[in-house]
Amino acid sequence: MTTARSSVSPTRGLRRWQGRQTQLLAGALAAAAAAYVAWKIGQSPDQALQFTLNGLAVGAVYALLAMGFTLVYSTVWFFDLYYGAAAALGAYGVFYLRSHDFLGGQYAVNSPVVNTVFALVAAGVSGWVLHVVLYRRVRTRANPTVLLSLVGALAAGVGVYTGLLLANPEQLHVMLSPVVGVLVMAAAAVLLRRGMRRVSARADAWPLRALALAVAAAAGAAAGFLLAGAPDASLYLSWGVSCVLAGCVGLALYRGLYVYVRARATSPLIMLVASLGILLTISAFIVIVFRSAPRPLPEALGGSPWSVAGAAIKGFNVFAIGLALAGFAALWLLVKKTAFGKAVRAIGDDEEVSKVVGIDTTVVIAVVFFIGAVYAAVAGILTGHDTAIQPRMGLLLLMKGWIASVIGGLGNINGALIGGFALGLIEQFGIWDLAGEWKDVVAFVALIVFLSFWPKGLLARK
Amino acid sequence: MTALARRAFQPGELRRRAAAGDVKLWASLLILVWAAVFMIWQGLGFAISIGSVFAIWAILAVSLNLVVGYAGLLSVGHIGFFGIGAYAAAILTSNASYEQLRTEAIPTFAWPFFAALPVSIALVGVAAVVVGVVLNRFRDDIYVLVSFGFAIIAFNVFLNGRGLTRGAFGVHQIARPAIGGWELTGELEFLILLLVFLALTVAVSWLIVTSSFGRVLTAIREDEQAIEVFGYRATHYKLAIWVISAMLAGLAGALFASWTSFIDPNSFILLESVLLVSIVILGGLASIWGSLLGAMAFVLLEEGMRFLPFLPAEYVGQARQAVLGILLVLLMLFRPQGLVGRYRL
Amino acid sequence: MSGGDGSGGSDDVRVDLPLEEIGLSKHFHSWENLYTGQDGLALETIGVSKSFGAVKAVDRLTLAIPRKGMTSIVGPNGSGKSTLMNLLSGTLPLDGGLVVIDEVGLKVVKPYETPQHGLTRTFQEVRLFDQISVWDNIMVVLTERRPFAALLERSKPGHRQKARGILQSVGLWEKRDVMAQELSYGQRKLLEIGRAMALDVDTYLFDEPFAGLFPQMLERVKDLMKQIRDSGRTIVFVSHNMDIVRELSNRIIVLDSGQLLAEGDVEPVLGRPEVIEAYLGA
Repeated sequence: MTTARSSVSPTRGLRRWQGRQTQLLAGALAAAAAAYVAWKIGQSPDQALQFTLNGLAVGAVYALLAMGFTLVYSTVWFFDLYYGAAAALGAYGVFYLRSHDFLGGQYAVNSPVVNTVFALVAAGVSGWVLHVVLYRRVRTRANPTVLLSLVGALAAGVGVYTGLLLANPEQLHVMLSPVVGVLVMAAAAVLLRRGMRRVSARADAWPLRALALAVAAAAGAAAGFLLAGAPDASLYLSWGVSCVLAGCVGLALYRGLYVYVRARATSPLIMLVASLGILLTISAFIVIVFRSAPRPLPEALGGSPWSVAGAAIKGFNVFAIGLALAGFAALWLLVKKTAFGKAVRAIGDDEEVSKVVGIDTTVVIAVVFFIGAVYAAVAGILTGHDTAIQPRMGLLLLMKGWIASVIGGLGNINGALIGGFALGLIEQFGIWDLAGEWKDVVAFVALIVFLSFWPKGLLARK
Repeated sequence: MTALARRAFQPGELRRRAAAGDVKLWASLLILVWAAVFMIWQGLGFAISIGSVFAIWAILAVSLNLVVGYAGLLSVGHIGFFGIGAYAAAILTSNASYEQLRTEAIPTFAWPFFAALPVSIALVGVAAVVVGVVLNRFRDDIYVLVSFGFAIIAFNVFLNGRGLTRGAFGVHQIARPAIGGWELTGELEFLILLLVFLALTVAVSWLIVTSSFGRVLTAIREDEQAIEVFGYRATHYKLAIWVISAMLAGLAGALFASWTSFIDPNSFILLESVLLVSIVILGGLASIWGSLLGAMAFVLLEEGMRFLPFLPAEYVGQARQAVLGILLVLLMLFRPQGLVGRYRL
Repeated sequence: MSGGDGSGGSDDVRVDLPLEEIGLSKHFHSWENLYTGQDGLALETIGVSKSFGAVKAVDRLTLAIPRKGMTSIVGPNGSGKSTLMNLLSGTLPLDGGLVVIDEVGLKVVKPYETPQHGLTRTFQEVRLFDQISVWDNIMVVLTERRPFAALLERSKPGHRQKARGILQSVGLWEKRDVMAQELSYGQRKLLEIGRAMALDVDTYLFDEPFAGLFPQMLERVKDLMKQIRDSGRTIVFVSHNMDIVRELSNRIIVLDSGQLLAEGDVEPVLGRPEVIEAYLGA
């Protein structure tokens, strides 16, 4: 009996040595990659710089994708595939709003059905926002019927406004000027009040308040009038509209659908499949509205490429990198420095407990979905301007964001930034000796290597 | 199992279940009646043309269900094996002379179909072992991601490996199967061949899932760690079913290549794989009958939409995709095991 | 596994043991002094460690469990009882040290090899195969282990008979076609014990078999365990219920903060001041 069983040697399968071997192999791989890059740089420094710049330009998009993705994932712990559709929606939104005034309007699209759908989404979301805000503030003081009809009327107004906006994209700058004016006024008022409080202890006296209000109103009006006379700004306005709409769809999806699926779901895979259904549906509608052929977006931030030590980079790409860094800073501040960020992290740690301690988890998560979708939409728009838009871009961008966030370390915003740029650089250096068409393969091989040797990514979630 | 089956066939049982609103029964009935109405309405020619599409999707769905439904591995990369099987069979049996076409030249083998079939399936098996070993390291969400990756890598190889696949030009003149001197050129003859292979696939799958192996698979799906404590090496089981399932998909691919006689990478895009997963989930996880139903519903959905007056013909595919997406959401909300499934994700 | 047993592989097991490395020197004096029990040892751990981050769940633990009879493992919450069970069955990988199962020393316990060594277990939180029937839950552990042989195996009369016997002995025969997830908590617990019993091994690890059971169920579990013991097997169980520990076990191991606080016969150990303090103090 004993002899038969002794065939299992006590030194068999030394896990610690296995661990060490894996580490050695990982180290060797990293060293080999570094050596390859160094060799390439030595061979042709100019080209290496060019590839690096390209890598950073693509990486900026991936970083934005990864940030939003990781924010959503680390809050609800399932992979939301709508995220890919949000990227496509963002890019196609810009195309939708601008299609009439470039390429001679040959691909101009405007469909009442689409306008209605987004008007409804906007109405629903604004109704929800008003309800959440007002309900808290005034529910004890106001008559519920009055409150509800007020919310309903306002929401309907927002819906009609959105519908009109989408139906008349030529007039985008005119129609948006009051909104921008009010936003500028509000921002100016807040800034002025803060500044005055800091300077003077008597800032609360009414003449000063009136003065501040007047200055803010003037600033808002000026901004509005300037905008109304500047049709060139329409492209950049369409970015904003597109992002907000994609975000609203994300929010509406969470509040209107995912909440209920999650309440019944027994595993994150159910959520994944449900969001897969959403992705399929939205992609199908994109093809129906826009056809499946690739489309260009109008030139944004034109001008000749910048030359850096023999390599060239488009001004637009520099803008993209800047946007990624700004997006990172904003998200970092939001998550680390605000009460909202604290709530987000608390929900990520334990949703049930967060609910018990009084965090309105549904509201917080819905806002997280809004923010995530906006990041995806920004990335989609950047990609669209850089290359072209096509219906399957959503799925591909989703994959890239997913990979970048895994490489960086799922659930870690810093990791998402690093992972995004790392993926961009890996892709670009990977296709140096291959051809550009292999970059998706390079990305997935990189993913598998990372998962095998650094399963928690570059920066693990703390 | 047997006890359950015995009870199901007791007299009056069907009527009782129908009266009790049994979703499985009603879903099956609905889809079968739908299919029958179509057959009678559109005639035999129609049945033959959509029958082949159905058979190919059904082989794929049944094979994928072995992995997704029984082993609990949500793989979205199955189309890759379908593609490898199709390309292997296509390249081996194609008798076009590519030197004359002045595009990418690939060697001409011009094998007979039934010689190429086992080779193609074996090639798929080898590829499946490699992919399976990699995939076995992951689970849940990451498994889905890496399986997406496999589908994308396979598609890129089909598209960009021009020396092997002629890239976007595709492979032409793929041979139809011949039995003795009799070449199956007719649609009806080919449909019969497809149905024979579908029956074979169903039989093999049924044997697998009713064997001890199948029972262990379901246990792995439920709790991999727990079943390991009882002496089963879960990784070996998962790899084995993965390879078997991939080889069945490869079979479907080879049949598909021969059926269309021309293939290019567009048949193997990621979206097709996603649709395939949707079919399996729609029909029902861990149920062979479910996969057949799912494939049938999928094909009927497209054909049914052709008759919608307000839907332009070029949007039928998209409309089907949208409906399938909405169905997936509804299923996840109300019936996560699919129409007739026995496993909730 | 006594020091005098010079034949076979047991000496080989010890030759390459770097005692200092696994922190054994602190506890260890000589092989001859080791407790061996009357019938030898079913299980041993030598300097076994496991940490989760900064928490040392099990810290250089050296203990011995004799063959036959019941050994209970007790200790306050978080003392490493369940971790120890997971380490013994290979569900968790060892950080360091050696597990000796039936005289075979293992630096890595592979869960799928534990039945070959003569060991099986139940889990603290019941882990059944939820979405398959009660019947299949038992059948699945009886059948062929090798994948390709299993492919060709249909259910055998011998297996069916055994499954029937087990389901009858745990009182779930009537429920055999029900999905395991639909059982009540007590029934699940019984089914899990039945599943372990279905495996013919020498040593059974039961992780909290009595937690959360009604008195009636509790008696049933006790009877099942006695049945196993009387057939000459070894049972190791974790429990918080001191009455049951006193009633059933003939040897006790007390853990505290991942270390061995006391081991030996039940009453003397439970009477020791440090044990009483660990339970009542702090």
